[in-house]
Amino acid sequence: MNGHVKNMHFQQFMETAATLLSLLLLMTVDSTKTVALSTNQQCGNLLQQTLKITRIVHKESGDLIKTYKAAQGEMSELFCKVSVNDIPDPNISGLDPPARIASIYTHLQAFLPHFKRVYKQQTDLQSPGSPLLKELTRVWGRTESLASFMNTFYQSLFPNLPIPEPAGGPTTLPPAQNVFQQKVYGCVVLKTYKDFMSNVSKELRNLKSKVCTKRTPINAF
Amino acid sequence: MVSAAVLHLWVLAWLASVLAAEDDYHLVIAPQSPVVQIGSNLTAICMINNTTEVTADDLYWKLSEIIPKEHYIKINSSALNVTVTIRSEKSEWLFCSCKTESHYVVLNRGKFTHGIWLRKGYRPEKPKNLSCIAVQESDTISSNIKCQWEAVGHQTEAVPTNYTLFIRQTGDKIYTASILGPVNKTTVDLNLFPHHMELEIWVVAQNELGKEESEHLIKLANCFVKTKPPSVAVISEAVFPTSLVMSWNSSIDKSYLETIYEIRFCPLGSQKWFYVPLADTSRYIQSFRLQNLQPDTVYVTQVRCKYNNNNKHCGYWSDWSSNVTERTPEDLPKSKPDVWIITSEEGLNKRQIEFICKDPEFSNGRIRRFNIMIEKQKDSIRNGTWEIIPVNRSLTDGSSSKKQITPLKTITLDDEESVTVYVTAINSVGASPQAKLIISRKTREPPAVEKTEVQSHNGQLFLSWKPPNRTVSEYVVEWVSDGERNWQRENGKTNYTAIKGDLKQFVQYRISVYPIYGKLVGKPVLERAYFEQGVPSQGPIVNLSGDPGCYTAKLEWDEIPLIKRRGFITNYTIYYRSGTETRGITVPANTTSYILTSLSRNTKYDIWIKASTIRGSVNGSNHSFTTLKYAPGEIEGIVVGVSLGFLFVVLMTMLLCFCKKDVIKDNFWPQIPNPGDSTIGNWSPDYPLKAEAPRENCLSGISVLNVDVCDAKCVFEEDKASLPLKKDKYLSEEHSSGIGGSSCMSSPRQSVSDSDEGGDMADTTASTIQYSSVVASSGYKGQNPSSLPQQSIFSRSESTQPLLDCEENHDTMVQEGSRQCFLRQPCFTHNAGNENATDSNDFNPLEMEQQEVLDFCPLEEDTEHTAPADCQSDDWIPAPVSSYMPQLGGYRPQ
Repeated sequence: MNGHVKNMHFQQFMETAATLLSLLLLMTVDSTKTVALSTNQQCGNLLQQTLKITRIVHKESGDLIKTYKAAQGEMSELFCKVSVNDIPDPNISGLDPPARIASIYTHLQAFLPHFKRVYKQQTDLQSPGSPLLKELTRVWGRTESLASFMNTFYQSLFPNLPIPEPAGGPTTLPPAQNVFQQKVYGCVVLKTYKDFMSNVSKELRNLKSKVCTKRTPINAF
Repeated sequence: MVSAAVLHLWVLAWLASVLAAEDDYHLVIAPQSPVVQIGSNLTAICMINNTTEVTADDLYWKLSEIIPKEHYIKINSSALNVTVTIRSEKSEWLFCSCKTESHYVVLNRGKFTHGIWLRKGYRPEKPKNLSCIAVQESDTISSNIKCQWEAVGHQTEAVPTNYTLFIRQTGDKIYTASILGPVNKTTVDLNLFPHHMELEIWVVAQNELGKEESEHLIKLANCFVKTKPPSVAVISEAVFPTSLVMSWNSSIDKSYLETIYEIRFCPLGSQKWFYVPLADTSRYIQSFRLQNLQPDTVYVTQVRCKYNNNNKHCGYWSDWSSNVTERTPEDLPKSKPDVWIITSEEGLNKRQIEFICKDPEFSNGRIRRFNIMIEKQKDSIRNGTWEIIPVNRSLTDGSSSKKQITPLKTITLDDEESVTVYVTAINSVGASPQAKLIISRKTREPPAVEKTEVQSHNGQLFLSWKPPNRTVSEYVVEWVSDGERNWQRENGKTNYTAIKGDLKQFVQYRISVYPIYGKLVGKPVLERAYFEQGVPSQGPIVNLSGDPGCYTAKLEWDEIPLIKRRGFITNYTIYYRSGTETRGITVPANTTSYILTSLSRNTKYDIWIKASTIRGSVNGSNHSFTTLKYAPGEIEGIVVGVSLGFLFVVLMTMLLCFCKKDVIKDNFWPQIPNPGDSTIGNWSPDYPLKAEAPRENCLSGISVLNVDVCDAKCVFEEDKASLPLKKDKYLSEEHSSGIGGSSCMSSPRQSVSDSDEGGDMADTTASTIQYSSVVASSGYKGQNPSSLPQQSIFSRSESTQPLLDCEENHDTMVQEGSRQCFLRQPCFTHNAGNENATDSNDFNPLEMEQQEVLDFCPLEEDTEHTAPADCQSDDWIPAPVSSYMPQLGGYRPQ
């Protein structure tokens, strides 16, 4: 009797628990759906913002090259056709969106020391009020801002994935250069950066359809 | 209660730390130099330290004045609490003092007083209405964001509020800018404007009394952007005469921000803008086509832009772009030209009619020419031919809001003729519809309107009229001034209109209303009016008409020229001034001359004329004149009058003399009896008459003066000069009886002068001779003194008649023998008591009377010297009884 009673009580408890669990599950699913929706919207906004900022940087980098060439004097067109080592690759690496976004971020970080060096070199070559220096500063700052924004974007999309730092430690800079080498170096850096930004723009347009529209389990990565 | 206990504990703890440092002071206040909120209560405690001289009962508090004891709370014997409400904003001292006057306290007064400086202020309030803006510099947006807010509440100098602006950028990068004091705006430099990133902006107001934070402004950075306006270009396309295409370049690259646009346009010269609906331009576009415009019209266009945040309106509109004007292409004229006439008389029974024309209201292009055809109504068929009137007008003339008037043709028309005129206007695209006007016979002109009235009201000139009885299709209101002519057409059903022309102030307009019956022009009615009257700019110039008179002057002046009249003259006032007195006479406006009367003669007058309108008056130029002293002819009149008077007097005198000649003769030339007629000669028979014969004629003019008393007296009074003569004669008779022998003796006067001028006697006798004779009544009185006195008659003649030859000869003859006698001067005196008076006793009474008047002087003295010697000369011939020979010859008055 007691065992039956206990069994009965247990059965009733289990039914109640099952009901509650079902209800809880239902609420959880619904909540997940809402979160997914809001996350998608946020993703889209972030991605859109990132894309717009990238366009700005792309546009400003294009303007910067024109200004740079104009500031270097004769044969400036040839400077950019020379290959220089230790310049970040303009291509984005990685197979999946997180990797490619991380690649963008690391590339942006990798370009910053080069901007710093080019700025330093051009400070010696240009007058203090030179438009080149202003634009260089602007692109440099914009790159930092984009990198920061990309980090935020990455973390918002992939909160559980740490963003990788540039492989191989700090960026390697070329050794001391003469003026011609400096000019060639600066032009190559800027041109490479412009190409990179072009690639980033394309990448982000592609990511928009891959990252923010699919109801991808966010924690799967 | 808990808070009070905490406060006490805090105060005691603080005191414990302070008392050690302030051993020298026996009174200590806590808290030290507090910041207090105005309106709140301040509680302070005063502690007695290291003395037993005073207790808490001896303490008192003083702010600006001693605080009443009701505010005190005695904590213990060595501590006194006070609570006061802080009301004023001014910072001040709060003192705790001791009122005990013991020796120690008096000697250490400084140790028994302690004060704290109260800094007063307000707690900051939450800033409101925070707004920020970032403007475009060159081709990018400035990194500086300017923000401003509304600072709520008060703050004092002692406790200022510090405002800090915070801008947080995506990535938790925060930029700040702080500003102290009552300032409500600041600028934050973001180094690089964060396009497409979200910004969170807020302001924190903080002072020593608290801290408040404004609401956070969270927007995309682009929502704070105010860009430069785009640069606009407008083009027209010939195939679309009602359309213009606008294109522009955004002032900032699309990568920074996408903009939406707003467009507005208006015809050149118009102040009313037409806005393109935002729905058509709220997207990133760079061109727009304006439609439904007027052909051949210059339009002004403008564009502005603003950040496009997916149609969520945020950000600031840029300023409007600068004006861009473009003319729409030409099109066919869509309305008739406005043809009109100017009629003037041309000789007898003829009219001169000039056809003039305005461009069609919708000319849709520059009118290149007009075609006109004039038909005379004599024939029923069209007998006119089209004439081309080219229009030479620049492009700018056509763009003017005022329609140009083109003279088409002038014809001379008989009063009995009527014509119909057809006009079309042609632009570069084609011809307009045809306008028609009929000029009727003058004798059969349709009736005019009635009762016109012009009023200026609210800056417009209104014209009203009473329509004629016939149906009017339209009215033409024409106004003319200073050669400028314009007209407007009004509906035939109206009787009231405002003149739409650009009327000028102070200009007289001749306004005519023409009723148009069908196309037939009716009789006009003319009104004169001013849009606005003013004071004449020039006064009338007054002049004298002719010369001024003594009391009048005629003034003349010309009407003020129309252009300077500036209003209807209501009247003229003539002022004339002499000295300090000024008089004025007001005359009607139609007067141009006036005669001033009641002037003073020989007075200078200044005259001027004041012309008045309803708006005021103006004085004309001064003119001076002087009235005449004598009126013309006055002097001549006086001269003539005086002359006539003189002539009258002369005539009257002459007449009087003529009429009274006898009296005058008697008075002035008394008639002396002709001695010739005297009977003396005859009467004295003793006297030889042989000598008379040759002298008879000479004696004819001698008158005999019967001297009686009266006559003697008269003679004496009337002609005293003659008296010496008489006396002389008498004396001569008495002393020179020899004279009697000289019938032509000179006058007694001459005899007198002879004594003085004996040498001139010959000349004197040649001029005048007075004839006198003393006739002794008793014959000759001999020189014998003993002889009896005899009465004698003094006869005299003073004739100035020249002596007759016989007389002269006789004189000459006599002079030779009796010259000495003539030179003898008898002297007589008018002295009755003369020594010789005894001799006069021999005269008869009558002679006695005469003797009293004319008493002869014996002149003894003289005679002693001269006369006796002479008279008693050897030549002396005793005279007969008659003392004188009668003088012959006529009498001539002196």
